[in-house]
Amino acid sequence: MSYVHITLPRLLLSLGLIAVAIALSRRSRLGLEGDLVWGALRGAAQLIAIGYVLLLLFNHEHPAWVLLLLAVMLIAAAATSARRVEHGPPRRVLFPRALAAIGAGALVALVPVFAAVVPLHPWYEARYLVPISGMMLSNAMNVVALVFERIFASTSSEADQVEALLALGATPRQALEPQVRATLRAALLPTINGLLTVGLVALPGMMTGQIVSGTAPEQAVRYQIVILYQLVAVAAVAGLVAVAFARRLLFTARAQLVLPQAFAPPAAGHR
Amino acid sequence: MTSVLEGRELVVLREGRRILDGASILIAPGEAVAIEGPSGSGKSTLARALATLVEVDAGTVLFDGQDAREIAPTEFRTRVAFLAQQPAMFAGTVRANLGAGPALHGKSLGDSQARELIVAVGLDESILPREARTLSGGEKQRVALARALANAPEVLILDEPTAALDPDAGERIVALLRALSARGLSLVMVTHVEAHARALGGTRYRCERGRLFAPAAGGLATAVLPS
Repeated sequence: MSYVHITLPRLLLSLGLIAVAIALSRRSRLGLEGDLVWGALRGAAQLIAIGYVLLLLFNHEHPAWVLLLLAVMLIAAAATSARRVEHGPPRRVLFPRALAAIGAGALVALVPVFAAVVPLHPWYEARYLVPISGMMLSNAMNVVALVFERIFASTSSEADQVEALLALGATPRQALEPQVRATLRAALLPTINGLLTVGLVALPGMMTGQIVSGTAPEQAVRYQIVILYQLVAVAAVAGLVAVAFARRLLFTARAQLVLPQAFAPPAAGHR
Repeated sequence: MTSVLEGRELVVLREGRRILDGASILIAPGEAVAIEGPSGSGKSTLARALATLVEVDAGTVLFDGQDAREIAPTEFRTRVAFLAQQPAMFAGTVRANLGAGPALHGKSLGDSQARELIVAVGLDESILPREARTLSGGEKQRVALARALANAPEVLILDEPTAALDPDAGERIVALLRALSARGLSLVMVTHVEAHARALGGTRYRCERGRLFAPAAGGLATAVLPS
């Protein structure tokens, strides 16, 4: 089955969509023009690069290359989720924890599926492994970033409450429970909303891609269902692991709250 | 002298500053202790260190002669209660707040105990179904006190319990603390109000630059307490 080819001039035409956003940004004085231009160019460059990498990988499929690419994707996801965390510890502290949380989530979501649901021959078949892993890593990245951002911010603003619970004899787990619950709910909500609205509001990218490139819709749908369930698992596991790491950063071994302000470089007054 | 709570040569460092610089204090069973001192003297950090809520860089806290590090934090803090200057109210009613401490340890607080506690801190029973976060500063302070007492602690440490209150409410809180002390509860109250320290009616110390001094008859700091 054939599909409509996108020629280079037509691709450039789509830049007009970015121009619309830039015009709106200028009109509303949002100051986002630079970010939009940089984002559009960088996004395109990254996709073109991965396109060539995938081409290379499909032609020279070797487990070492596939694993290397997955490792690069994992590191990029961890680095992205560990940055710009206000009220939290520095990036060098968060990065290894983000790596572990995203890695754990991806493993739980990917290994059983590739072992039993979509069995690969050979196991490192890149055209399945790379895009599906990419989706999982991306979702885990967003969840971990949200968890880190929220848990440190809410503990900072509700430190008096956490400490009041500790003073009543709560364990760190008990003292942080309201913040953990709110954080995980917020972090998992986009994934759950995705489950509820799929097919009604949006046709997911992978399914659309498969249908466009000629896969039978009923098979494309089945793939998408599996992926949706994987996204739920990856979000839950990555979120829980990230929360566990955050909790360990927020308390000493003697169950004392490390006030998030203590992570910040400027000296705060102590009584 | 036997002590229920003791701080020995406590040192707390923050960003290169010695917030506590070898402060020592000994609280006898049933004793009421007031720690006075200006803002920034380290008295609040001392209270929090005695409650094991801040990590000390040197020194030891002892409870009933045992090193606090050998006692599980959950157990220590059930027996040594701490009240912050403006205690946080948990979401829910006053009744739910009172039951928070026992609930953490898998116990429940009976209705009659809740009523006894709320009356003991000078409030009316009718306050029990009210939303705790809507109370006035003085009411919150009393509810927090009742909440801490629900754990049946042996020592109560209070950090500036009157600082956020108007003078009348502050005096009533000190009178209440004095009554609790008369019933055998050991008390440590940090305050910058000399009149409140005096009104507590127990031993008074003065905190200056992270050290603790025993006041002489005239009320001025003269000697470092022996450790």
